[in-house]
Amino acid sequence: MDNHQVESPETSVTSRRRLLSALVAGGAFATAAPLLAGRASAAEGGPSFPTRDPQDNNALNNALAREARMVGTYRIAVAAVSADDDVAGLTLILDHHIAYVQAIKGYLGPDAKDAPETPLSSPSGSLKAMAAGLAQLEDDTATIHTDILAILSGMDAAKIIASIIIVEARHSAALNMISGTSPLVASGN
Amino acid sequence: MTNSTPNNINRRTMLRSTGIIAASGAVLAACGSSSASKNIARVGETPEITKLGEVTVTDVVLLRTAMSVETMAKTILTDTAVTSLVAKNSAGIVSGFAAAHTSHLANLRSLISARGGEAYEEPNEKLMASYGTQALALVAEGKSEADVSSLMLATETLVASMYQYFVSLTAEPALRASMIRMGAQASRAAAVTAQLINPGIGAFAPGVDKDGVATVATLPSAFGALSAVQVQLGPVNPETGSRATVLMDTPSLNSFIY
Repeated sequence: MDNHQVESPETSVTSRRRLLSALVAGGAFATAAPLLAGRASAAEGGPSFPTRDPQDNNALNNALAREARMVGTYRIAVAAVSADDDVAGLTLILDHHIAYVQAIKGYLGPDAKDAPETPLSSPSGSLKAMAAGLAQLEDDTATIHTDILAILSGMDAAKIIASIIIVEARHSAALNMISGTSPLVASGN
Repeated sequence: MTNSTPNNINRRTMLRSTGIIAASGAVLAACGSSSASKNIARVGETPEITKLGEVTVTDVVLLRTAMSVETMAKTILTDTAVTSLVAKNSAGIVSGFAAAHTSHLANLRSLISARGGEAYEEPNEKLMASYGTQALALVAEGKSEADVSSLMLATETLVASMYQYFVSLTAEPALRASMIRMGAQASRAAAVTAQLINPGIGAFAPGVDKDGVATVATLPSAFGALSAVQVQLGPVNPETGSRATVLMDTPSLNSFIY
């Protein structure tokens, strides 16, 4: 008996190609599914906000100007003390304010305006006396930043300002404690 | 002419057979008992995961969650485990800090009401179960006044971190400012507590004592931190020579009050 093998290569190749394509597409979907699900969950976590808004630049430049002046003020305060602990403590806060200037400048980039380090006061006398005045300046600065936070649209800027306010409140309380203020008053109660 | 036989395996037959086997496997797998999947061999036991429903984090949700954390902070500061160990000269400070949380709660109630929401008056159940109850039990067990200060510092730091974190989730800019005002007050309370534990301007920066153990710093970082607050509480474990470390996290999606 003769058996004639009928080859139909075109049909066979097409089927294999379709099979492979289906496998590849299925694999890709299976790989991407967890990522897509993860993003969907994150999106459900809350509303989305603009990360940057050029309209915030003016308010942020005001925050920058204030921080630069705080730097100028602390430079005088550090120069006015001599005990190692006093120099170290005030230098730490000076460094924090320098970091705030750099953070806001870094955020604004070319939109940052010139911010001179004009001191807000000339701290002098005993550490206790200086601490009381500096605590008041920290409180005022935190209030200025809080007012700025209330009008910021960009979330990245809001995060920076919020993280500064939280620590400036600490500065204020810590300096009030050094000045001899009672703990409850220093904590803002 | 070829000598091939009828049972010769060609590509088409092989693909068909593979498809039949795969389909049969799928049918058999579907027929299997669902309880089998719950008994996958593993080391130890894991709790069943309850999937979070469809939820949206709104400003009211954040305010309600803030209420739950403020209530938790007040609960911790007024718990007998804490109040029974506080020295007379510190009792006014602890009760003053608790009163500040009560004041925040009143503020939060009006903010929620103004947005048509409903106030939440209970402590955050998940966070109390995660670390609040454990922290209080350790303070009661340790019977040390130093633990009260440590727990107070951790609690106030946690509340400040929560408000800072919530700024990044809040839609209304004016509300962000309201939140950070309350966070700043908690931050002040944390700094005061740190000064009570380790006083003086020399304690502003992080440092170590003569034994190389980290001291409490009043100003531990230039920017507000959002990491979990760590606090060591309770008696020293005689076997390990150390005390229990409690990790206090700010609320997240699974502990928000929706």
